[in-house]
Amino acid sequence: MSAELAVEERAVPRPAWPAPRPRRWRPGDVLLWGYAALGLVYLFLPIGVMVLFSFNRPRGRFNFVWQEFSLDAWAHPLAVPALADAMVLSLKVAAIATTAATVFGTLIALALIRYRFRGGGAVNVLLLLPLTTPEVVMGSSLLTLFLTWGIPTGFLTIVIAHIMFSISYVVLTVKARLRGFDWTLEEAAMDLGANEWRTFRKVTLPLIYPGILAAGLLSFALSLDDFIITLFNAGPEVTFPLYVWGSARVAVPPQINVIGTTILVLTVVLIGLSLVVQRRRYR
Amino acid sequence: MGDDRRWSRVPARRLTRRQFLVGTGASLLVACARGIQPQGPTPTPTGPSPTPASPSPSPTLSDILNFANWPFYIDKKTLRDFRKQYGVNVNYIEEINDNVEYFAKIREPLSRRQSIERDIIVLTDWMASRLIKLGWLAELDKDNIPNWTNLVDTLENPSFDPGRRFSLPWQSGFTGIGYNPKLTGRKLTSVNDIFDPAFKGHVTMLTEMRDTLGLVLLGMGVAPEEATLEDAEAAVERIKEAVETGQIRRFTGNDYGPDLVRGDAWVSFAWSGDVVQLKQDNPDLEWLFPEEGFMFWSDNMLIPITAEHKFTAETFMNFVYDPKIAAQIAAFVQFVSPVEGVKEELTKIDPALAENPLIVPDPETLARAHIFRPLDPEEEQQFEQLFQSVVRA
Amino acid sequence: MRGRLRALVPYVMAAPGVAWLVLFFLVPILTLAQTSLSRGTFFTGFHFAWDWRNYLDALTTFDQQFIRSFEYAGMATLIALAVGYPLAYAIAFRGGRYKTLLLALVVLPFFTTYLIRTLAWMTILADEGPVVKALKVLHLLPADGRLLATTIAVVGGLTYNFLPFMVLPIYVALEKIEPELVDAARDLYASSFRAFRRVVLPLSMPGVFAGSLLTFIPAAGDFINAQLLGTSRQTMIGNVIQSQFLVLLDYPTAAALSFLLMAAILLAVFVYARLLGTEQLTG
Repeated sequence: MSAELAVEERAVPRPAWPAPRPRRWRPGDVLLWGYAALGLVYLFLPIGVMVLFSFNRPRGRFNFVWQEFSLDAWAHPLAVPALADAMVLSLKVAAIATTAATVFGTLIALALIRYRFRGGGAVNVLLLLPLTTPEVVMGSSLLTLFLTWGIPTGFLTIVIAHIMFSISYVVLTVKARLRGFDWTLEEAAMDLGANEWRTFRKVTLPLIYPGILAAGLLSFALSLDDFIITLFNAGPEVTFPLYVWGSARVAVPPQINVIGTTILVLTVVLIGLSLVVQRRRYR
Repeated sequence: MGDDRRWSRVPARRLTRRQFLVGTGASLLVACARGIQPQGPTPTPTGPSPTPASPSPSPTLSDILNFANWPFYIDKKTLRDFRKQYGVNVNYIEEINDNVEYFAKIREPLSRRQSIERDIIVLTDWMASRLIKLGWLAELDKDNIPNWTNLVDTLENPSFDPGRRFSLPWQSGFTGIGYNPKLTGRKLTSVNDIFDPAFKGHVTMLTEMRDTLGLVLLGMGVAPEEATLEDAEAAVERIKEAVETGQIRRFTGNDYGPDLVRGDAWVSFAWSGDVVQLKQDNPDLEWLFPEEGFMFWSDNMLIPITAEHKFTAETFMNFVYDPKIAAQIAAFVQFVSPVEGVKEELTKIDPALAENPLIVPDPETLARAHIFRPLDPEEEQQFEQLFQSVVRA
Repeated sequence: MRGRLRALVPYVMAAPGVAWLVLFFLVPILTLAQTSLSRGTFFTGFHFAWDWRNYLDALTTFDQQFIRSFEYAGMATLIALAVGYPLAYAIAFRGGRYKTLLLALVVLPFFTTYLIRTLAWMTILADEGPVVKALKVLHLLPADGRLLATTIAVVGGLTYNFLPFMVLPIYVALEKIEPELVDAARDLYASSFRAFRRVVLPLSMPGVFAGSLLTFIPAAGDFINAQLLGTSRQTMIGNVIQSQFLVLLDYPTAAALSFLLMAAILLAVFVYARLLGTEQLTG
């Protein structure tokens, strides 16, 4: 997922879209687009089901079979207290983990890009490792650590884990942004008499801000959605994905679909907004 | 009291009890007898011996009670009533889906005597037994639970907790078969119907060893009360075969529900009250008491040794042992209440409920119910390993 | 003096994040190694014993699940490549002004909770559901056939859940290719297929490489798809690790399994890198 936001950024800053060349439609294109369209259908099928079933009125415990259209779940999204609690917990964890991971990650990214230092290569490798390690391995190894140290699993350990797996993504995203950065601007500012902190705040930060924002968004999304690592380290706590996991066995209220849909819509809005902001910045 | 009405066909209480005992067969009787007079090798506790209950720090009610239970195992009104009467908010957490999984969740903190932020947890007999042996439970102060005398006599002295020093039954129930006659195309009668090749891929069994192994053993003509390791091996072999041929779709905890409701599962090993509740989702579902017999179990209220609100927990236990409240719960959950006098109260709510053998079982039904033989820790591990190797891969 | 202090700046900046990763990623892996060589049970306690038998036991008992995991992950990677490459190609070369929008569309479904998506697949593929019924009418599925609780469903679920990890890196690689280069190649090679094979495909290989890894690794360690969409015959190694750790409390075996999984994946990555040629790694 790291690449995606980085990609958008790379795609967006282009000052103008290349004027579309007039081109004939080749049969290959039709085939290609048909294929791509099928791919998109595949991608959106489950999403459609999720949205659709948020408007269902299940007869009993399970929201699996379509019964009738209803706005009940939307009118009372917090009607299931355990679900609401789980969502609140997930948001809390995500907020803390995102803040910490974004700060840590941005600092590492700045250090790696701005300075050449001994051990920089090792840091790069260290950052890549979590991306190439399956989640079960990370989750289980972290659990053995907590067991060995006698740290009871719970809120704290969830936050620790989420910060851990978010850092690499933040670094990659911010780095992608920094790569095209014109460092002479910093020098210019200092030549004009600004001290380092002031330069950073007034020049560097505003310029790399979109990258940090994108990294934060990504890490927030990752934290909100993490299941496997959290399952190992949650102790008695229940985050939103853990709630969904538990409820899948015994009762699936349509409110789950309502929250899922809401997260999706908010994501669309946020991505849209960040695109607009970025585009404006480049004008 | 109204006990004579509890089992409608028998006139006097004395007789009722005897018939009940005889009815439940050797199983419960043996269990009780063992409880009082352990026979054979005494199980050696693997953990620290049960610590005597610490005197409750303050016999005053707390504002809150943390109660962990299985999903759909209480009605909301009971919790409201408790708050009204005692001013205690029950933080009711439906987090237990599987005994083994829940144990895994609480073992670390409890083994270190750290709080799990729960005052009452509800676990099945054998798991309650394990927690008692590990010394992780607080001893109940019966002075705070005067209603405990309403406990049905047959459950008073289980082998794992003679005299109920650490546990009090929450609900009892049967493990049998839940199925969808529309999809199976016929009425079922036997446990062994689950192995009918016509249902290939539409069959689920439970991850609870005693439930699944017990039923399969019954189908093989072996009483779960007397199952040896060889019997268990034969049963596991039979299950394994069914897995390999694709007969069995999944092993489940509570989660056979969605499969039955959706129609993915046609025949499931299931828990009695559950199937009744699932009819709301899918009215085609039927419960079957298999002709070879079926399993009987109890889930028990337990107070972890680290509970913050022990006195409040005991007050709550006392509250739900009031037959009126117990009936209210039974009417909702549709399992067997362990509280004497529930039948009378149920008749007041809905006479049909009082006649439902799933909620108020008649002696004939109880006569065919079985419980799994108590296992000592070593056997327990052998059986579990054998069973889990098939079930949880 | 000031210069020497300045040299410390990158270290200070990178320190918190790096420390976090060392403490909560590297050290846990070491504890995992230690646990994997321990003996004992939960009830008797565990002690370190250089006990290599855990590995032997793990390998001989769960060889099937290991093989299956790699089979499924391999299949999922191939299918994701088959679906994802044309999709990325269509967006990169034919997306025109809608590039960003299309890319956002591809990524969007993955901002919906993983578990909700997988639950939706359960609804879609249900035995009594519309998809199965339609396939039966079309005789694409035998009368007693099903989709849910089959290998097809598990591999399909894995493919679905990790598809964006395939699409995005390929897109990034394709996007870097200058359209003029493709045009020139087309003129040179006369056929657009040959132009694709000689120019576009080789240039996109780093993306294919990264995408395959990012799909394969999480797929090989996943247990959610096998649990929800499969049967006991589709159990993957992730399921075993999860139940050994969280249900059966056999930490040494579970740790050994985790380690073997990690080693096997590293080996697979190495072999794959050799096959593709190491220069692809650096892209």
